Amino acid sequence: MADQPSNFDFLEKYDDRVAHLARQAELYVHSDPDSALFKLRLMVEIMARTLIEMQVPELVDSDLSVMLRSLQRSGILTRREADDMHAIRRDGNAAVHGYDSTTPTAMRRLRDAWRLSRWYATLVKRGAKVQVKEFNPPIPPVEDASQRAARLRAEALEEAVEARRDRTREALLLFGDQDDIPAMRWRLRGELRALEGVAAAAGEPIVDADFVAVVMAMDLEQILEHPAWGQSSQDAKLNVESQFAAFKDAHSDAEAAYLAERAELARDARRA
Amino acid sequence: MSECDLGLATTWFLAARTMACGGDEPSAAEEAAAGLFGRAILGLDEDSCIAAKKKDHMQSLTLIDCMSMAGHLPRGTADQVMTGVMMIAYAAASMQPLQVRWASMLASAMEMSEDRFQRCCVNARVVASMLPHEQEAVGG
Repeated sequence: MADQPSNFDFLEKYDDRVAHLARQAELYVHSDPDSALFKLRLMVEIMARTLIEMQVPELVDSDLSVMLRSLQRSGILTRREADDMHAIRRDGNAAVHGYDSTTPTAMRRLRDAWRLSRWYATLVKRGAKVQVKEFNPPIPPVEDASQRAARLRAEALEEAVEARRDRTREALLLFGDQDDIPAMRWRLRGELRALEGVAAAAGEPIVDADFVAVVMAMDLEQILEHPAWGQSSQDAKLNVESQFAAFKDAHSDAEAAYLAERAELARDARRA
Repeated sequence: MSECDLGLATTWFLAARTMACGGDEPSAAEEAAAGLFGRAILGLDEDSCIAAKKKDHMQSLTLIDCMSMAGHLPRGTADQVMTGVMMIAYAAASMQPLQVRWASMLASAMEMSEDRFQRCCVNARVVASMLPHEQEAVGG
């Protein structure tokens, strides 16, 4: 096994620490899936730390989930990579905390790690053309009929668990994997701007925007002062005041645009 | 999955997506919180959630459709939807102008009084304060 070429050899020239951990995980995937998952978790942590150092150095000492969320927010991690990294983090944590892991779980995460490695290599060496062969699952040790049957049962169970997890995830998330989120966002924001125009022209609806903004501002101030956010009263107030001012500006702009349009129409009518 | 469940799931996801899109791009945690709210509070089943988000189903719907559907919800359910929608903005501690506009439009479509709207906001604030966010360390 150790003499076989590794799926992660290509990674050596981009990040040797990450490549080393990945090869170790590959080595242990059949004999010790817990260790394999632990190595993969460490590998993801180093990847995240490297990317954070490049982008948001002040968060470099945060824990892995915070770093991953931050990378996702900054747009470096796409949904697919974030899901793969979170899956490795989750299964790696389970292994560290003594929950039994199986080879099929470790193998699935190894494949995820391989996919991540290609993406990671292109990020750390910008513009690099990363040549990667197809993923080649590490060969299992020689097994007798009962061992083989047990492995196949474990693989089937792993497939079923993964399918169940995918379905739950699909039901839970606000957007689906197939959704073009930027396009959807653009469309919905366009419709909201149109509604803003309607409100300026036709008058505010029953619960008017000024009232909503005041209620939201008061609530947000309390939220920001909550220990979870931990802002001082002064910071919370400043934060909310700036958001409130942005709302007022946008609101006045919509009113001004409507008035300008109305004046233009009146001028046209007088000219006609 | 009944037509009623699909209708509620459609209203919920469209209203929630609009609130999310009115602000910055939502994090996966906020997205999942929105989904959990739909499952746990609105009682939507997995099939309804998945069917409601199918591209061909959702693509043809506008915000006017959403407001019309929201206007037909029973009062208690409408309050829950409004609470969930406000929770999304509060989870990111955000009140961007388009989010304010959407809250105002949706509450009005549901024919809410100002008092009723405020009650929904208080509940949303409580739920949002329980959600994790960037500054917190959550489980390694």
